[in-house]
Amino acid sequence: MSTNSTSIAMEAPVEMQIQEIAFDGQETYAPSLSMSENLTKLAQKIDFAKCGPEEVNKEITEIDRNEDEAEQSTAPPLWPWDSVRNKLRNALTEVSVLSDLLTIAKGKKYVVLDPVPQDPPEPKPAMMMVWARKKSFAGAASVLFSGAERLKNSLIEAQKNRSTTADFHIELLRLRQNFRLKKVNNTIIGDLSYYRSSGSKHFHRGTFEVTKSEDEPDKLLSPPCSPNPNSANKLTSALRVTVPGELQGIASIKVYFQKDQDSLCSSNLNTPDTAFSIPEIDWQRKLEVAQNVLFCKEIFNQLAKEAVQLQSPIPHVVVGNQILASIFPGVQLVICLSHMEMSTDGKASLPPPIPRHDQVLEHTLHQLLRELHEKNAHYLLPHPASAPLGPSRKRSCAGPYAMDREEFVEMTESQTMLEQVIQQAQHTQLRDRTLCILDKLATQYKDPLISVHWLWLNSPTYACIKVTIFAQGYDEIYRNLVIIHVHDTYLKCISRDGKVVQLSYESMELKNYILCQICRHQIMAVQYLAKAMGWQCVANSFNLGSGTLVETFGNASSCILVSPVGDRLISIHCDQNSRVQVSVAQTPRKDFFPGQLVKERKWENLGNSFKEVQWEKMIGKNFLGKMELLMTSLTSSWMQ
Amino acid sequence: MGVTILLSYPVPENKTGPQTAELLIKRIGALGAVQSGQFLVDCETFSSGPTMGGPPRTVHVLHNSEQPAAVFALLESPGPPPKTVPLVADGLFDLLMLKMSSIYASKKQTRMEARGTRFEIADFLVKIGTVTMSSNFKGVLVEVEYRPCFIAGNCWELMREFMQSFLGSVVQNTPPPYFQVHNRLNDVYQPLDTIQQYLDHFASYRKVAGL
Repeated sequence: MSTNSTSIAMEAPVEMQIQEIAFDGQETYAPSLSMSENLTKLAQKIDFAKCGPEEVNKEITEIDRNEDEAEQSTAPPLWPWDSVRNKLRNALTEVSVLSDLLTIAKGKKYVVLDPVPQDPPEPKPAMMMVWARKKSFAGAASVLFSGAERLKNSLIEAQKNRSTTADFHIELLRLRQNFRLKKVNNTIIGDLSYYRSSGSKHFHRGTFEVTKSEDEPDKLLSPPCSPNPNSANKLTSALRVTVPGELQGIASIKVYFQKDQDSLCSSNLNTPDTAFSIPEIDWQRKLEVAQNVLFCKEIFNQLAKEAVQLQSPIPHVVVGNQILASIFPGVQLVICLSHMEMSTDGKASLPPPIPRHDQVLEHTLHQLLRELHEKNAHYLLPHPASAPLGPSRKRSCAGPYAMDREEFVEMTESQTMLEQVIQQAQHTQLRDRTLCILDKLATQYKDPLISVHWLWLNSPTYACIKVTIFAQGYDEIYRNLVIIHVHDTYLKCISRDGKVVQLSYESMELKNYILCQICRHQIMAVQYLAKAMGWQCVANSFNLGSGTLVETFGNASSCILVSPVGDRLISIHCDQNSRVQVSVAQTPRKDFFPGQLVKERKWENLGNSFKEVQWEKMIGKNFLGKMELLMTSLTSSWMQ
Repeated sequence: MGVTILLSYPVPENKTGPQTAELLIKRIGALGAVQSGQFLVDCETFSSGPTMGGPPRTVHVLHNSEQPAAVFALLESPGPPPKTVPLVADGLFDLLMLKMSSIYASKKQTRMEARGTRFEIADFLVKIGTVTMSSNFKGVLVEVEYRPCFIAGNCWELMREFMQSFLGSVVQNTPPPYFQVHNRLNDVYQPLDTIQQYLDHFASYRKVAGL
């Protein structure tokens, strides 16, 4: 501790002002200013007359200086609100001036208020939205409009162009409606074959290729849009269809009859003159033609297979593209597949013209193959639906109908295509022969007329004919009727008396039969006529035979008539050529002379000698007419 | 299907059934008949179990080799009035009966068979067969069919004469009892009539005590 240092008491300056010091030393501090008192103190320092930022700064510095001075000075303000009052008074003055001015301006005499141009007010938000919407709609509309314009233009262009070229895809669509197509490795392959799609068992690849035709659009045609055959087809196609080589060209099955020939087959060499070029056709027809080629090949294949397998008395021969089947001894049915192939230079060679190609039999072959396909592909829905699928309707009903064993055997029999065609061909031939014979006889014989009526109900293997033999003018007296059933290899003839005769395919048998019937008719008609006139038939014979004449057809018959009184006899003999010999006799004999052996008169009643009538000189339209005249004259002669 | 008459030929005392059949075959052979195969008519009986309720009903299922695809079924319900309902059905009917084995139980021991040879002679078809019930011989049945006619009344006389020629006096002069009811003589003959005749004969054989 140093003796020189003095202790100094440090005290903070007094914060509160001392108001008074009491005698006992107690200091009475003046109460510190509250906030509002402090605010008034500061407010009186504000000079409302000069209000500016620099003056504010100045005032702030002044206020700081004043605050420093105010702490030193102890002079209290006179009235804290004095300056405020002064300033308010100034404000009142100014407001009164303003109100006076406004009153004068309202009078519009001395002072006029001019509006001050103002900025346009802020638009309301609702209107703005409407306008915004309108703008956006306009924008959308313009986009749509431009799109529509583009479409319209393209449509007009397409319409203009449709008359000349078709679109590839539209053509492809049309092609697909008719044929099966599929896409394989960037190429479009179509299928022409019937294998598995319509029940054929004949496998053939039959594919065709579809390509775009870009290099030569002029040559290819597309099928016409309307089935009207008169509309000119001027459309060119964008599609090209390539058919496989073996299916090109035109094929058909030719069916015709020929007499037996010594050579098995013959071929014709074609000169180039007979060649012609197949015109370009549209793809639809080209494909149809190719499919037809396939179909004809299948028919021929099937027939050839059956021809080899079938056992027949005269075996069928398959040579090249021909099948020879003998239907009758001496007549052959030839089925030939004629395929007009295209040669390398685009020209096809015509096959030799087929004599009398039978279109009905060709159609039959087509139908038979389709039937075969149907049988393979389609199963009949059995009733009830729970029964096994597969048997035909007849077989399914065999149970409930209690069918016999014979009916079952009948059901299982079926004929192959070749057999059916041969049967139809035989029937055709037989029918034609019958027709010929009957026509020839009808034109040949005028005395009894022959009228032939063919029933319209017939089938490919059956026909029925009604032959009427009658005399003109006397058809009410007697008419002979023969019904002929024409089957495939035989005829069945039923005559008026119920006898049934089966004739074979030899046409002479039918001629013989009809001639016999004609002969029979003559004598029967005479008998009926005689009955009508009162004459009686005492003897007749229908089968006198033809004797020693050269012709062996027909028959001779005869009868003897006696007059009502009994004195005249007529003997009629009708032979196979319809020649008639009529003889007349009289009882009692006019030329009776008793001789050595025959002495008595009574024998004149016997032994009539017949005198022949000159038939050509008789008056009458036909045999029966002449007979009627003869009988009349002989009847009335008794009166003489 | 022609008119068929079924006759039961009584077996004489000193002969067995097969011997009688042989005798008849010899007789018909002497007339000039040609043998053409075998025939078989069998009958199986099902009767309804208690689950059906009511009096028990029987179903007879018959097969005839002459109609190979058909199955004949006859339902006999005894409840008043007693009636018989016939049915001609496909072969599937047998399977249906198998499925219904819980409702209709088959009595295996009453299965009856008529088996023998068939002969064809002109328009007639003659079948001579022996009837067996589960290998017990019951009798000899002769079936004669006249194929062209299908109304029994028209050809009864002809058939009677033919049958008497090789069967003798066993054949009565009046038509069998089957044809005398319901005017069956003038009705069209159906295969079902043959089956019903067989059923009648089988029923009568069942009643007879075993030989």
